[in-house]
Amino acid sequence: MSGWNQLTTVEEMEADTQRLRDTACQVCAETYEDRKRNQTPQCRFGEDGVCCRVCSMGPCRVTPKAPRGICGADAHAIAGRNYLRMIAAGTASHSDHAREILHVLHMSSPDGNYPIRDEQKLIRLAGEYGVTVEGRDIYDIAHEVAETALMEFGKPFGTQRFAERAIPERRAIWASEGIMPRAIDREIATAMHMTHMGNTADAEALVRQGLRCGLSNGWGGSMLGTEVTDILFGTPTVRRTEGNLGVLEKDMVNIAVHGHDPVFSEMVVFAAEQKDLIDRARAAGARGINIVGLCCTANEIAMRHGVRMAGNFLQQENAVLTGALEMMCVDVQCIFPALAQLTECFHTTFVTSSPIARIPGSTYVEFKPETALEQARELVTAAIDNYKNRDESKVFIPEHKQTAVVGYPTEQIIKELDKVTNSHVDERGSFRPAIDAIKAGVLRGAVAIVGCNNPKIRPDYSHFEIMRELLRNDILIVATGCAAQLATKAGLMNMEAKDLCGAGLKRVCELIGIPPILHMGACVDISRMMLLANGIARDWGVDINRIPVVGVAPEWMSEKAVSIANYVVSTGIDVYLGIEPQVKGSTQMMELITQGTRDIVGAGFIINKDPHDLVRAIIDGIEAKREALTALGVL
Amino acid sequence: MGLFDRVFNGADQMYRKAESEYEKTVAELGADAPLMMPDTAYFMACIYAYQARKITKLGDLREALDEIKAKMTHEQRTGDVFSSGIASVMAAEVIECCKYAGGRSPYEGTKYHGHFSDAEVRELGVPLVTQDIPGFVVIIDPAPSDEDAAALIKGYQNRGIFVFLIGGVIDQAIRMKIQMGFPVRVVPVGEDIWAVGHIISLVVRAAMIFGAVAPGDWDAFNEYSFHRIFAFVNVFPPLRDMTVACGAGAIAKGFPVITNVVENVWKVPKTIIIQENVADFIETSLEARDIKIKITDIDIPVAFSTAFEGEIIRKKDTRVDINGARVDCFEWVRTKEAHEIEDHSITLDGPDIEEFEPGATMGVGIMVDVAGKNMQSDFEPVFERKFHNFLNCVEGVMHTGQRDMIRVRVSNDAFDAGFRMKHIGEVLYAKVKSEYDTVVDKCQVTIVTDPAKLKELRAEANKSYDKRDMRLRSMTDENVEVFYSCILCQSFSPSHVCVVTPERLGLCGAVSWLDAKATNELDANGPCQVVTKKLLLDENIGSWEDVNEAVTQYSHGALERVTLYSILEDPMTSCGCFECICGIEPASNGVTIVNREHTGITPLGMTFSEMASMTGGGVQTPGFMGHGKHFIASKKFLKAEGGVARIVWMPKALKDIVRDRLNETARELYGIDDFCSMVADEGVSEDPETLLEFLSEKGHPVLAMEPLL
Repeated sequence: MSGWNQLTTVEEMEADTQRLRDTACQVCAETYEDRKRNQTPQCRFGEDGVCCRVCSMGPCRVTPKAPRGICGADAHAIAGRNYLRMIAAGTASHSDHAREILHVLHMSSPDGNYPIRDEQKLIRLAGEYGVTVEGRDIYDIAHEVAETALMEFGKPFGTQRFAERAIPERRAIWASEGIMPRAIDREIATAMHMTHMGNTADAEALVRQGLRCGLSNGWGGSMLGTEVTDILFGTPTVRRTEGNLGVLEKDMVNIAVHGHDPVFSEMVVFAAEQKDLIDRARAAGARGINIVGLCCTANEIAMRHGVRMAGNFLQQENAVLTGALEMMCVDVQCIFPALAQLTECFHTTFVTSSPIARIPGSTYVEFKPETALEQARELVTAAIDNYKNRDESKVFIPEHKQTAVVGYPTEQIIKELDKVTNSHVDERGSFRPAIDAIKAGVLRGAVAIVGCNNPKIRPDYSHFEIMRELLRNDILIVATGCAAQLATKAGLMNMEAKDLCGAGLKRVCELIGIPPILHMGACVDISRMMLLANGIARDWGVDINRIPVVGVAPEWMSEKAVSIANYVVSTGIDVYLGIEPQVKGSTQMMELITQGTRDIVGAGFIINKDPHDLVRAIIDGIEAKREALTALGVL
Repeated sequence: MGLFDRVFNGADQMYRKAESEYEKTVAELGADAPLMMPDTAYFMACIYAYQARKITKLGDLREALDEIKAKMTHEQRTGDVFSSGIASVMAAEVIECCKYAGGRSPYEGTKYHGHFSDAEVRELGVPLVTQDIPGFVVIIDPAPSDEDAAALIKGYQNRGIFVFLIGGVIDQAIRMKIQMGFPVRVVPVGEDIWAVGHIISLVVRAAMIFGAVAPGDWDAFNEYSFHRIFAFVNVFPPLRDMTVACGAGAIAKGFPVITNVVENVWKVPKTIIIQENVADFIETSLEARDIKIKITDIDIPVAFSTAFEGEIIRKKDTRVDINGARVDCFEWVRTKEAHEIEDHSITLDGPDIEEFEPGATMGVGIMVDVAGKNMQSDFEPVFERKFHNFLNCVEGVMHTGQRDMIRVRVSNDAFDAGFRMKHIGEVLYAKVKSEYDTVVDKCQVTIVTDPAKLKELRAEANKSYDKRDMRLRSMTDENVEVFYSCILCQSFSPSHVCVVTPERLGLCGAVSWLDAKATNELDANGPCQVVTKKLLLDENIGSWEDVNEAVTQYSHGALERVTLYSILEDPMTSCGCFECICGIEPASNGVTIVNREHTGITPLGMTFSEMASMTGGGVQTPGFMGHGKHFIASKKFLKAEGGVARIVWMPKALKDIVRDRLNETARELYGIDDFCSMVADEGVSEDPETLLEFLSEKGHPVLAMEPLL
């Protein structure tokens, strides 16, 4: 048998983490594992979603003996409200991130810190918005597009413009079910209002608002975030990069950028390439400056610059524990406050940059677009000057790293598919080649694997096991966020990883020249996946919930993930979860999120904590969708 | 029933047929009857290849059949389809080979060829593996009409594709009186679908003979044929399940199937292609298997050879003079979408040569439109520049210049031999298509000679040139991510390496950064390689650690360091084919530059040739440097030594070429207007004393600069 198999296994990753924990012991630092132990056992009421603390009569906790809170709210109302509040918070996070970037677009200028890098995409969006393009300066257009987009957050009337991108069948469902998303802020506020003391106690109404609030994220905030980030920093294209802690360099000034919003990290990357700073690093005895990414910031800059990725969510402490990190620069979301204490045990400078994410013990440098480059240069300079403070006795950089080919937004996927068209019979610029491969059965379907890490289960193991099994079963994977990072770390985004696939997927990878897992970006880029599914359904001529495409979040943890799961389901895509949403205390809520939404939007959650059972369910789910299509006569 | 079920069903049928043929033959001849395929050392080659089983007698087939059956798994996965497909082909081989049991010769005296000998495999295998035969096609069952069949077979033959025929198409070929047989590369293999066993037998033997693939290594046989054997299948109705099963075997081996059957067939990109128009079968098939036909014969009435590159055509021998300096002329490569191009279309718009008086001046615009999935507009100028070489290879044609300043002379002799404008199109088509086959899939040529249209088109072409120039000018050494090495001339200067940057083209003047980029993308292992520039050592002299590493590597250790912007410190080496040479003039602290064409003496007391002997051959000679003409106006020219202000002397002709851009650079760098008027030439001085006088008189900025040495 020929074939490549040089994956980095989860066991190897765990051994690296174990070795770094030795360092932690040596410097008397704690990690999330210590804190998790201290938090165990976790509160059952919280876990089940039946602790209500929305008013000061409470907290009220529902038990069989005390089935209602003081106001009379039952487990279904309480769990439903808590759940909707998570969705609202998640929607707010993605959307506020998008709003920040829109403000940067609004102040973009040709000679400022942030020029337009993808004019075509801007012009397309202007066309979609009805913004005049003819005879206008590109920056005038940009500013008007930004203003128009910013109105999506608070406009008093109407629904989300991007919802118009959805196929008519989907739009009709959203309209008839009353979940067509209105202004983003409105949906968040409505969610918060509905869950205030003395308002909605009907679980289904709460779930419906959850779907609509989610949609305002997926087809609103997140989609704006993705579009505008592409316009400002360029739509990603295929790049080669590397992933895992081995990308830290022992003889270079290492700076990690961590978080989600690339406005800051883009500038740090740019500053680190400037000659005088490289000279300064050399003068300080280093071989150069090494920028690495963590979490979704890594995904953003890897796709646009090939910047290497040190790891995902639960790797953030490990990066510091290598003792080789001169600076950790963070922006927003998924940042452990613990980094402040941890970096104190090392020479690492911990820099926070956003008023959204203030952390005691960090060096706070409020990042402003007008002074971005200057600030980034100052930070890089500080990191260089910190190189001399590195304590070699604490340094251990695990060797593991893997190469990865990343950068497959929908635009790129279409370009890749064009490569296998035949100019004598096929049209170009569509998803048809993928659809044909699925119809014939060469590919069984496609799965979007997204989401975080969660210490509730063995970190990265579920991602790894599920990916391996899907690949073996000829199911193409698209990935974002921390799931994509795991694929990178493991080596599953190598071109050679085709050898780990079933014969059908392997052949597809060989013919097109792609890795079997396509990196589509950060978690905000799950909106790209919605457009992908929407495009496939459009080119297929069926509604989205019929195509054999599903979503999986095996290790999710954040409120953003709950919001995402809701818009994915609303888009008609089943979502397989490896972590239970915190509504278990309500049978009605459990029923609603797994079955009830099927009557509303034709999709729902399938939940299983065992990755092997979960992946079996995914494959069965895909095969069931294929059978239904056969019955319809469209497979 | 889905595609996969058709394969499984067909596989089962093939197996049943094989088993019954086997049992019938055993009943007739006994299990101990010898089963030796003639003229081969590879037994029943499919079974030997995939099962590592050496069949020598009929009874050996029993276990082989069991193993075949075991491979016909029925899960709804491509792996099962591939395995069932290969197993079907093995079953087909069993059916066919039973005919040979007991030493029989089943096809002797028939119209069918049957089994291929090892000698035939070798005869076909070598050109297949070296791609002298660009590929082979298996045509199964009758084409819609006899004429279609004949056109298809002949079309493949004309393109050098080897043709195997199975089933009714053979009778069509016979009716159309197509000459068949191994030597003419059209082979009627057999009547039934199981004749594919003979073809796959040939394929796996090629893998064993040429690829040293070990019997039993299932995947390796499929990989070998997928990557190295450019075969494909054309199949016509009725598409039976058994044919579909064999098709799965072909696909497992990497061979796409092109069919005109629409019902119960599933399209799979680059794998199963439905082409209802049989007239387009050939082109569709070649594209599906990525086969590009190299054009070897150019259809022109005169000879084509590099031997004619230096041919001079005198005025008196000129039939027509295409002269961009006097009338509207241009050469223009345009990137188009594939559907906008009719491949090999050559159009003449306007009068041809014979409508002009002998010796007349003629305006000609040549537009070459290309399309390709990997085509980039950056390649356009690269192709355009090559027109010079392509057209000069034509006996009786002389070409100079580029863009809208071309000059082409067609000799009386060439004209008398029948050379006309369309032949220029033929040459360009053939050469562009063959030299750039990695990026050009389709190409068409339009030649305009109608003076009324030329003016407008020339203006349009100029817009396109300007756009390219803008792009080139906007590129600086700082804003690109990589440089390129160029070792085009290492054949005669083995240790020389050019580092080509946007602001410093190759010293021969022929390789700009874009050219180098294109060369690299066209041929990843070719003379131009990516040189990264991540590890800057000194910006002023243009020194990078990674550039040094590249130079060390590509000069095979002869050179360890070069700077890109200095003539004194580790200057870039020269091969010997530089356009200009620049040397320090000590009296003035400046440099003199002399171009290859200038024969006179310079203020250094040396001619071009004498100066050239100081450098070249890949040796670093601080104070002397070879370079391209267009480097002179670059902001990076002698940047380390203060820039273009160091230039004190140039021949007048060279000055004229670089004047505008050099003046602009001097204005930008120093705020000096009309810098060139301060630079001396042969009309002013040919010795240091008068040179210095001239410079003082003009107030040349070099006089205020720091000493060079």
